[in-house]
Amino acid sequence: MKRLFAGVALAALASVTAGAASAEGYKIGISNTVQGNGWREEMVCAMKAQALASGKVESLNIAHRNTDAAGQLEDIRNLIQAGVDAIVVNPANADGINAAIKEATDAGIVVVAVDQAVTEPSAYILSNDQTGYAYLGAKWLFEQMGGKGAVVYMRGAAGAGADNDRDVGFKKALAEFPDITVAQEVFTGWQQDQGKQQMLDILASGIPFQGVWTSGIDNVIVDAFLESKAPLVPIVGADNAGFVGQLSSVPGLVGAAVTNPGSVGGAGVELAIQILDGKKPESQTVLVTPDLWDNVSEEGKAKLAAAANPNLDPNWPVSVSIPGWTTYTMDQIIACKGPGE
Amino acid sequence: MSRALRRNGWVLGLVVLFLALLAFTKAIQPGFGASGLESLARAALPFAFATAAMAVVVIAGGIDLSVASMMAVASVTAAVLMQGHGAGAPTLPIVLAVLGLGVAMGALNGLLVVLTRVPDIVVTLAMMYVWEGAALLILNAPGGAADPALRAIVLGPVTLPFVPAAWTAWLPKAVVVLAVAVAVVWVPLKRSRLGLSIYAIGSDATAAFRSGVAIGPVKVAAYAVAGLFAAMGGLSVTMGTGIGEPIPGPYLLAAVAAVVLGGVALTGGQGGLLGPIVAVFILRLVRLDLTLMSVDPNVTAIVEGTIMAVVVMAGGLIALRGRRA
Repeated sequence: MKRLFAGVALAALASVTAGAASAEGYKIGISNTVQGNGWREEMVCAMKAQALASGKVESLNIAHRNTDAAGQLEDIRNLIQAGVDAIVVNPANADGINAAIKEATDAGIVVVAVDQAVTEPSAYILSNDQTGYAYLGAKWLFEQMGGKGAVVYMRGAAGAGADNDRDVGFKKALAEFPDITVAQEVFTGWQQDQGKQQMLDILASGIPFQGVWTSGIDNVIVDAFLESKAPLVPIVGADNAGFVGQLSSVPGLVGAAVTNPGSVGGAGVELAIQILDGKKPESQTVLVTPDLWDNVSEEGKAKLAAAANPNLDPNWPVSVSIPGWTTYTMDQIIACKGPGE
Repeated sequence: MSRALRRNGWVLGLVVLFLALLAFTKAIQPGFGASGLESLARAALPFAFATAAMAVVVIAGGIDLSVASMMAVASVTAAVLMQGHGAGAPTLPIVLAVLGLGVAMGALNGLLVVLTRVPDIVVTLAMMYVWEGAALLILNAPGGAADPALRAIVLGPVTLPFVPAAWTAWLPKAVVVLAVAVAVVWVPLKRSRLGLSIYAIGSDATAAFRSGVAIGPVKVAAYAVAGLFAAMGGLSVTMGTGIGEPIPGPYLLAAVAAVVLGGVALTGGQGGLLGPIVAVFILRLVRLDLTLMSVDPNVTAIVEGTIMAVVVMAGGLIALRGRRA
């Protein structure tokens, strides 16, 4: 173990001296609390790629693990100890990490929350509009169902901030279609295997339904229909590469992908760099609006075809960049390398 | 005598390891000081209580997989009760009620283990889901509030009247809170007849029974104490975040790890609470060092696990040699 530490210490020492040579590069910290999820992995890769592409970041300190808000408090405080210039964080929830964010901004560190909002006013927020995400997809789905029938409502993780925001959007659309009922409401936990098993169970139970709304666990739902040879119903999912491919290739599948770019992480790094450079945005909050690509209209089909990319992991969102924010290339995000790697 | 020495030797070894890690941290991050210690202590707090809870049950020869879920129930209950009161919340009664709830949850776990005679691991696995669901029923999303006065209890370093602040700057309030809370429960318990019985049933249940120990009630008591510590852990989560968290955090396996690293035998009857709590601080400090060195996050988990395995194996080897000599 001593040797391990000695080796790591030596490497750390080397990177410190190398950093001193390259002068004024920024040191950026990253905190994320879901590991092993395609969307979050793309987010982290987008952060690394943008830091590299900007040419202004000397090093990244990444705290990336499965934990709760209390664990994220620890991670953010560790990043403060590491002396970073900015912290880009995907918050575990809106209120729970405010204390550490305040400590960071008090210490002069720029904090950007991506994907989900935080209520601490000193933080900048660059987030996908989660309420709009759910509303857009649910409204399209209910229209496809002819405004009546039962829908299977497959949510994300119980208690997660984004899931609650999406629930607001879904309920808003539901209120606009009084003849639509919810046949089943389940939490997939944003886990592929769990969502698939739930759909297999629902299909086996014989409960009648005319549509499926999923919170981003989508390609395995289509798989469940195909494997159990059940007649397809309209399905709404996210812009994950696997599902986008299915929308063009599975015969008889009617569906739509709603964009929820994981590359928002890269945009968050870019925003942090801009603020460090002295260019503050007009508002503390920047929202990325979702887009809907359906496989019914010509316009939607064209967008699906343009977005499909066989090189991507099927669990990654296909919207790998955000125009106006991210400057990395497709190869850079797939390589998933940050500065100094 | 030699057994006591060995047990204390293990804790002493852990303290030395902790100090060595502190020195290492200072070496790689010269700015590391009082504020670093303070944030380390606050991060360790929920882990330390979870570990104390687990350690008591393991010493009694059981295992409690529902520790993190009970923490979630305590956390959301406290946050829901304190919501809407602002600074004028009846905080003390709420804290006492939550601690009582913890005791009740733990006692129920213990009762089920004793009455059904189903193995501890199975009962508490089932109860893990029960408490998890209960927490979500109380609060379906992170929310609620915490009394700022309660949160301030663990914030910053200790300040004493007539003592210069510089003298106490290195002692975080969180450490004092942890030490007092654990000592108030554990020190009298360990010296009592009940404490002895907890060690006895963990060491050899049959022998304990033949010596007149009422195994069932002692086991229920051990689980109740674990529930009490879990409630403290849940309260510390709410104190840290200012909200209630219905989804259990990563405390269960971290607690098992710290218990093993802290010198408590998983077979029961051996060890104490000091070792596991020092182990919690070691594991948190390793996490800090890995962040400071910006080690690849996927490698981080491997390093944490490796350190644990190496320390436990090395400790076992040393103990073995000690016995031969």
